[in-house]
Amino acid sequence: MADTSPARTWVMRAVFPALALALIFFHLLPLDTVPRRMAPPDLLLAFAFAWCFRRPDFLPVPLLAATFLLADLALQRPPGLQALLALLGCEYIKSRALHLRDTSFAGEWMSAGGAITAVFLVQRLLLGLAGVPQAQLSLTVSALLLTILAYPLAVAASQSLLRVRRLTSAEAEAMGDRL
Amino acid sequence: MARDRSHRDDYTGPLKRLLTGIACLLLASVFIVWRIDSPRVERFRAQVLDRIVPNMDWAMAPVTGAANLVRDFQSYQRLAEQNRELRSELRQMQAWKEAALQLEQENARLLDLNNVRLDPKLTYVTGVVMADSGSPFRQSVLLNVGARDGIRDGWAAMDGLGLVGRISGTGKSTARVLLLTDAASAVPAVIQPSQQTALIKGDNTGAPLIDFLENRDMVRPGDRVLTSGDGEVFPAGLLIGQVAEDPQGRLRVRLSADYERLEFLRILRHHGNETVRDPGALVVPAPGATWPRPRPEGLTEAGDG
Repeated sequence: MADTSPARTWVMRAVFPALALALIFFHLLPLDTVPRRMAPPDLLLAFAFAWCFRRPDFLPVPLLAATFLLADLALQRPPGLQALLALLGCEYIKSRALHLRDTSFAGEWMSAGGAITAVFLVQRLLLGLAGVPQAQLSLTVSALLLTILAYPLAVAASQSLLRVRRLTSAEAEAMGDRL
Repeated sequence: MARDRSHRDDYTGPLKRLLTGIACLLLASVFIVWRIDSPRVERFRAQVLDRIVPNMDWAMAPVTGAANLVRDFQSYQRLAEQNRELRSELRQMQAWKEAALQLEQENARLLDLNNVRLDPKLTYVTGVVMADSGSPFRQSVLLNVGARDGIRDGWAAMDGLGLVGRISGTGKSTARVLLLTDAASAVPAVIQPSQQTALIKGDNTGAPLIDFLENRDMVRPGDRVLTSGDGEVFPAGLLIGQVAEDPQGRLRVRLSADYERLEFLRILRHHGNETVRDPGALVVPAPGATWPRPRPEGLTEAGDG
């Protein structure tokens, strides 16, 4: 049973930025200063999408925008661009979440994978149009594939450790306005 | 129930959409401003990180230490093999050390004979690496010294052996070093012994490319690559690495600095090379100067006495 109390909602609204900070922290550890062939998955994106499918009310738009912008700034990405695309992806998934409430995980994974692909490819396209020098395509592709593969892990971690579960229809009705 | 939901959409829906629109607009404008006026936004980014990262330092240092410990532990497994390698390397090194000592003495003697004064301006500040760029697409590290310690943009960062990169972005107590391997890095260099000038351009791989080489035939793998001091970015003569050829036949630099373990970096204080701009008043009179020139006052007294 998912907890629908307002207190829990506010706690989880604080947990998401904390999770983002922890992910940024591990990215920033000066462990590999040698360029790598592979790029690691963007776990923040996977977590955000997994949460948006389950509990859109945990991730209001300002919170998402601020968190993604901070990640952009901290991880030396062009500020604002990936944040914008990730925010749009999250809003798309929130709108899908209402329809997909009772479908299987495969369907959810497909939608999330599509959104992740769109975020990475549109970002690359826009950077190209803006004339920003970019890294090799192989890095983007590996980050994209690994993020899609990491999505079920993000879902499992969210469900088991953080207890972010999908609402049943009855609970959704009970939540009413707050959803 | 259904009526209830549609009723709810009536007023929260547009509001949420408005909020989303405003957030998107803000993020897009941040990106556009960054594209137009990159230095200002990068300065802002440096200030944000200057606030955040030093606060994380208490946690970062032990975690990094622990991870390195695990790595060291893994390397214990091939300890015997390493020992053998090290011993043979040590024998070679002793021979080199003897040669180096003799050369050092000879060098000192020659410098003394020639009255050469070594450049006293090349002092350095040492900083500790706090964080890396956090992204596989950018190659940079964050140091724990910043504007407070007099660090300025453009100064060279070296480890004990070779050039590592340049300062690009300083906060109050942090400074970012753009590594030579970053795609945005380009350093004018000279290749010894053929004296060919080239540009060392990073491309997100371990060995940066050698670009704009005048005459490729005169450069062989194993040649030394030094900074040339062109463009007044770096002081001349800092060791970068050795020329190597990759399987595609392109020339690259095998970097001398140990990029596996960037821990302490030296930031060389560099206040620009002095260049000769005027033609020299002795040879050609300065434009508008009276001729003959008046005798300097200091000299008249000395002459009288």
